[in-house]
Amino acid sequence: MAMTRLARWAARSPAPVFAAIGPGRQADTERLLARPGLRRAATPRDAAILLVAGDLPGDAAEALSHLHDQLPHSRVTVRWQGASPDAIAERIEMAWRDICAGELDEDDHLPDKPPNAWKGIGPHGQGGKGMMGGTPYGRSMAMTGKDIRDGLQLDRFTARFGPFLPMLPPGLVLEVTLQGDVICDLDVQRPPFAQPADADAPDLCAARMLRLLGLESAADRVMHGKSANAMWVRGAVPKELGRIDGTSARDRLTSWLAGDAVSVAPPDLPALLRGAEWSEAMLILASLPSSAIIRAAQSVEAA
Amino acid sequence: MTVLLAFAVLATLLGGTLFAAALDRALLPLLALFTRQRIETEAPDRMNRDLAPAWYLALAAIGLAVVPFAPGLALIDSPVGIVIWGSCEALIVITVFLHGWSPNAPFPLIGAYRYAAIGLPVMLPSMFVLIAAALPAESLSLIAIVESQREIWNVIRQPLGLPLFIVVALAMTLRGPMDYADAADIATGTSAEDSGAGRALWQIARLAMLVSVSAVAATVFLGGPLGPVLPGPVWLWLKTGALMALIVWLGDRVARTTPSRMLTILWILLLPLSFLGLLIAGVMAL
Repeated sequence: MAMTRLARWAARSPAPVFAAIGPGRQADTERLLARPGLRRAATPRDAAILLVAGDLPGDAAEALSHLHDQLPHSRVTVRWQGASPDAIAERIEMAWRDICAGELDEDDHLPDKPPNAWKGIGPHGQGGKGMMGGTPYGRSMAMTGKDIRDGLQLDRFTARFGPFLPMLPPGLVLEVTLQGDVICDLDVQRPPFAQPADADAPDLCAARMLRLLGLESAADRVMHGKSANAMWVRGAVPKELGRIDGTSARDRLTSWLAGDAVSVAPPDLPALLRGAEWSEAMLILASLPSSAIIRAAQSVEAA
Repeated sequence: MTVLLAFAVLATLLGGTLFAAALDRALLPLLALFTRQRIETEAPDRMNRDLAPAWYLALAAIGLAVVPFAPGLALIDSPVGIVIWGSCEALIVITVFLHGWSPNAPFPLIGAYRYAAIGLPVMLPSMFVLIAAALPAESLSLIAIVESQREIWNVIRQPLGLPLFIVVALAMTLRGPMDYADAADIATGTSAEDSGAGRALWQIARLAMLVSVSAVAATVFLGGPLGPVLPGPVWLWLKTGALMALIVWLGDRVARTTPSRMLTILWILLLPLSFLGLLIAGVMAL
């Protein structure tokens, strides 16, 4: 098919990739996505290529299918098993050119219908009381409950987050009850996928926090061995946030930016995150080395 | 003359938006978005989904229309130009909220409410610094504010004004340290469900607003079209372009703190600071 001029320009832009990271592939994938020809999409809606890195366990297959179907057409899945980063980057860039030329596309993996049959009461399938609450058609709706800070009645919304959300460690599934963006309750549904020690590398850990602080290019600079070269980096992390074993999130970021590894005893995740605002909770999680979160989540699951 | 000025506003908006996209290195990715499918979420508010980027673009155009391109010459020659710009600022909060509201999904809605919470304490310092700049001119008209800077620019006369207004500009354009609506921790928030042309339009509207807010800042603090040798519009374009580059650079280099901490900083630090600036400007005007 002849490419239109618009498609030719599109093909010259960096390939928009959303990654589903499997066991043992976090460090490789994060380094791959910092390459100049690729663009890390923050949401599947902004991606054209779904990169599946490593072997995903069976219980993540359905989530992967949902994720796949969230990418707009035209889209393609690229699986990364043993290939070198150079080879896989080239495959992604080739796939992007083919997508722009209209030569590649994939159909939905799942039927486009509600996750559950109709459940609940009321003429509109709303489920709970009046027009609130319940899980009509498998979608949880907000229901009023006591605010954890002052006891006032406010909407509570419960939803499951993960396993491929880019701001959470790969594999981690959390069931979170939110009031506004305050976490009232939190349950670890699935621990993150196991990762070797290279996922705790100081530059990768620092980059994860920098991205949450809105410093995309500083994160890339740190991953390429340069200095972050940004202002108010440490100051932007609230002083006492995520204090464990005498170190706070800010202290850990400082160590990582200096190139020092950090080790933390696995914390009690629900206790650590309950009461935090969503953005604080994401910063706290990013301020923990991957190994500490994995051990913490496994101990929650075992209990 | 009105037709010529309307043409100047549109050309500035278009050229400025292209320049902003180049500064952001977003030209090709934006074009690529137009080749992508626009996904519809479940039960969206379709009208507001389509209107939000249009509002944002319209507010950028209206804001730019009150800016004088040469001394005494603006498309909207209003005695209350500052108030028209102020209303554009206030309506941006509603536009961003509608953008987050319309897809009917959690992350966009969190972004929408966050922006509403941040928007109010950002508007107040903005009004104070703009009123302070209007005091030496003894007028709310942007044309009069330009005239009042023939001897000395407001950036020197009121040193607190421009830095505070740049914080406002970062919030108006959803950028870097003030991007609470489309932040990374909520998967780009109000834009999290946008794909294809819808996503591209929202990003283009953000860039257009950068042109507008920079042009207003150049007018209020850097003397707008005033300058030697070159014609007025060229001075305005140069000053606007320089401010755009500064705002993009700051957006790229300054970290974003958590929303609740930013709220504290806005109410406890920046709001009193802007009031102090207004007080000093008032005493000096007496």
